[in-house]
Amino acid sequence: MTNVIDLPRRAAATAATAAATAATVTLRTLVHRNSVDDWGRDQHLVNVLSPLLGMRWHVSVGGIDHLPARAGALLVTNERHLSYSALYVSWALGRASGRAVRFVGRPDNAPFGPLLRRIGALLDDPIEVRGALRHGELVVVATRAVSHLRHAGPVDPELVGAAVAAGVGVHPVASMSTMFGRAARAEVGPAVMPRRQRRGPLAEIELAEATQRHLQKMLDGLGGLQTGVAPIDWLGEG
Amino acid sequence: MPGRRVLVSGMGGELGSLVASLLESEPWVGSLVGIDADPPRRRLRRAVFHRIDPSDRERIVDVVTSFDPHVVIHLAVWEPDARVGTTPARRYTSECTAAVLGAAAECPSLESIVVRSGIEVYGRRRHSLTRPDESAPVDPTSEFGKMLADLERVAVSVGARVGVPVGTLRLAPVLGPHVPSPLGRLLRQPVVPFSVLADPPFVVIRESDAAAAVIAAAQRRVDEPINVVAPGAVTALQAILRGRRVPLPLVGPEWSIARRMSHLLGAPVPDHVMEVVHRGRLADGSHAAEVLGVVAASTTPEVIDRLYAWETVVRVPRPIAVVA
Repeated sequence: MTNVIDLPRRAAATAATAAATAATVTLRTLVHRNSVDDWGRDQHLVNVLSPLLGMRWHVSVGGIDHLPARAGALLVTNERHLSYSALYVSWALGRASGRAVRFVGRPDNAPFGPLLRRIGALLDDPIEVRGALRHGELVVVATRAVSHLRHAGPVDPELVGAAVAAGVGVHPVASMSTMFGRAARAEVGPAVMPRRQRRGPLAEIELAEATQRHLQKMLDGLGGLQTGVAPIDWLGEG
Repeated sequence: MPGRRVLVSGMGGELGSLVASLLESEPWVGSLVGIDADPPRRRLRRAVFHRIDPSDRERIVDVVTSFDPHVVIHLAVWEPDARVGTTPARRYTSECTAAVLGAAAECPSLESIVVRSGIEVYGRRRHSLTRPDESAPVDPTSEFGKMLADLERVAVSVGARVGVPVGTLRLAPVLGPHVPSPLGRLLRQPVVPFSVLADPPFVVIRESDAAAAVIAAAQRRVDEPINVVAPGAVTALQAILRGRRVPLPLVGPEWSIARRMSHLLGAPVPDHVMEVVHRGRLADGSHAAEVLGVVAASTTPEVIDRLYAWETVVRVPRPIAVVA
């Protein structure tokens, strides 16, 4: 008399397979699977990094109503050496407006270039900026870096030319921060209107100069740095 | 313009077969002839197919000139490591392009040419545009990109010589469960390497969306390059996680070992796929909607999901019995 016994089939799971599976499950919870947009910006990563950026900068935003609701716009902000104003201005305006705000100035080398692309950085290339503006994106560019907190450096006419070619407005954004504290400001101004219509390259040159003047006026209007600690304010003034 | 004679080169491929089956139901298509080295992968009712080796130029020229097409759709492009290796892919593509387009130039009824190209033609050099549109310079940095750039150059020169419009469709990597693609094969491995320092985003296109774009370009007599990409983007890590594969993070030197291992396991990784993994591949496809009037039905994440929806191997369990 024989008995036929059906043995249960068991998957051979080695320790390595189990570890890999556990790591994959952990990754699945950390990495969002559908969060990269057409330009490579990862909203999930931006959300993850926001608390870290918040530890460095506490930005008060003003003039947000000057931004277009859906259309693209070039936002020109002043830059002091090592202030990373384009980064914190784009982050703060993105949070305030609820739109994805990109910024210009990423290197094209790993790992910083790809990381910055994931948080919305574009190459410093007028064609790239024009493409983004044509698709209704808000793009922050910085002026040439200067050493003084309340001085606006020259604006790159080629990047302004991208806005002219895309037919979108150019807004000055006065920014102010210090290396010694978290307090920072970002004040969006109305779109700069050229004094006269030009057909040729004078359009972007004059618009870039006008933007720098508007930016300087806004910076003068902001007054000095006021963190509440006089030595920091004095040092922050450069 | 009913009753047009349409010639499709590369009708044996997945994309060519799909294009042929769609053309059969188009009212403006009168007769349809196809050429390829392999037979079509679908059942075609109206099309007449000629199985010809790409190197047999005389026979290709004979078939094309005797058919005298109004529209030539040139899809005979061999992607490296899709069906053949890089060297034969380059040779077959070059020979077939010269024969088909050269013969088309001799046809008195020729009205337009549509060629299959790819967004690989933009290259991924340092400081190249993140999301190039059709106005971006052609600067390929991979073997496949150079093949496609050569193909575009030949097609445009033929079009200029005989005075017919040439529509160049720059397709994103075409992915689908049944499409032979080195990128698709790599992503469907159980363990998939990715660049942990970069993990850049890329776009793809579903084969049915690519076929619809080809049909629209042929019907509308397009005379310019057009990017055809699915909306959205994914990174390699996101794609791996969507497919429930095990991601293998790599930094740099070990990539050469990973490529060899992948090749041994049946999924060779050519240089244009390495570019995708290391530098990403995005493109602006908004012009296609304006010119062709078609919008990709599937987003890039959906195309990736569909790639994984197909079972690798269907295992039929066998009961194990032990006699005690």
